[in-house]
Amino acid sequence: MEALNAFSVSLQAVWNDSGFSAFTMGNGIMILVGLVLLYMAFVKEFEPLLLGPIAFGCILANFPNTGFFGEEMNVMKAINYGITYEIFPPLIFLGIGAMTDFSPLLARPTTLLLGAAAQIGVFVALGGAMLVGFNVHEAAAIGIIGGADGPTSIYLSTKLAPHLLGAIAVAAYSYMSLVPMIQPPIMKLMTTQAEREIVMKELRQVTKFERVVFPIVSTIFISLLLPPIAALLGCLMLGNLFRESGVTDRLSDTAQNALINIVTIFLGTGTGMTMNAESFLKADTLLIIGLGLVAFMGGTAGGLLFGKIMCKVTGGEINPLIGSAGVSAVPMAARVSQLVGMKAKPGNYLLMHAMGPNVAGVIGTAVAAGTMLAMLK
Amino acid sequence: MEHSPVTTNPLIIMMINMTVVFIVLIALMFLIKLIHIVDPTKEPEKPAQVQEEEPLVAVKSSSSPAPLPEPVEQGVSPEIIAAISAAITAYGFAGQVKAVRIINHEGTPWRAAAKFNNVPRK
Repeated sequence: MEALNAFSVSLQAVWNDSGFSAFTMGNGIMILVGLVLLYMAFVKEFEPLLLGPIAFGCILANFPNTGFFGEEMNVMKAINYGITYEIFPPLIFLGIGAMTDFSPLLARPTTLLLGAAAQIGVFVALGGAMLVGFNVHEAAAIGIIGGADGPTSIYLSTKLAPHLLGAIAVAAYSYMSLVPMIQPPIMKLMTTQAEREIVMKELRQVTKFERVVFPIVSTIFISLLLPPIAALLGCLMLGNLFRESGVTDRLSDTAQNALINIVTIFLGTGTGMTMNAESFLKADTLLIIGLGLVAFMGGTAGGLLFGKIMCKVTGGEINPLIGSAGVSAVPMAARVSQLVGMKAKPGNYLLMHAMGPNVAGVIGTAVAAGTMLAMLK
Repeated sequence: MEHSPVTTNPLIIMMINMTVVFIVLIALMFLIKLIHIVDPTKEPEKPAQVQEEEPLVAVKSSSSPAPLPEPVEQGVSPEIIAAISAAITAYGFAGQVKAVRIINHEGTPWRAAAKFNNVPRK
């Protein structure tokens, strides 16, 4: 009898401690959302490197009684610290810097203007978010989705609206993977056939001196002007310096391979872990996803519009299609410019020209984030 | 130190932020130009080549014209084409070679990347 009683109590204790006893409908829906995201990442290959860990983190975050965010330290809590204390986004930027070639930008610095113009989407979405009832901090974090820059979106939302981090990260990475579908119709709508056929002049050769001095000078200038993004921009340029110096190949190799891969796993999983049912299953999430699309389309349109202006001013030397690459989805947006250009005129290679505004967009989005942090934080 | 926002008017926030982004990136543009100007390693810009003026009176040699140099074979040699086709066939993709082109590495590496990017993939 005593054995039966002990068995029954033990079974009840196991049940009470299990996730099933506290499982809610919301948890079930969020696990389904995670499964859909996993499908998009691994079957449809929409940004699988980041959406995969985000989706799995989302599933993990919706198991009750795991104690992930309890008092005791555990691996999931440690990963979450990397997001909360803004450690991962700058480390990702270190790797991105080591992978980035700024030569197209240095050869034609006027393309920085296209990178600036494409930030219009950020501010249009910011305005839109405030109009539908988000406060100014939340609106700024939502708007940055238009920059098409995942790490910057995570960095800014962690600082301004941490409760929206999951929705913002999912929207940012989903739209980044949809760049080849979102941008071409806008590009065709806003440019004429003659404009799309413009063949741009070959870029000049950039010297090693320029490639080494640029990351140093730009870090000093931007970090002094906008200290809130010193970590983000500093890491981007440090990674680039590893690449361009020619004497730190091992560091460059680590930054652009091992380090960025490790941090990507942590960043994705940690971001997914913020997607619990209580914070994600809200009408606001749908609004954020809608506003993210507005931001993306606005950014593309802003870059194209400025590309058209530059085309007129230079007497037809600039193909406006490179303007859409000003959103910083590197190198996807530049490749879309190339593909649309090639369709208009086979043999018209725009990739190297579009890489200028594309990397300018990375800097532009970071500057936009820094400006908003300086104004709002 | 946190402080309350100066304004919560969306239009003003948009205008201020866009202006700052443009100013910062324009300043960066001038910095890049400055780096190019002070670059001690840059090659001096070559003056535009002036075409040699043709003599007013054409001097024609009475002797027979010099023999033409032997034609140099252009493009990829048939042996290389055969080797590439054989290798691709060996991997089970028989009859799928449509063209073999030399990637032209003239100019920046980006030009080659652009061409490579355009190669259709399955």
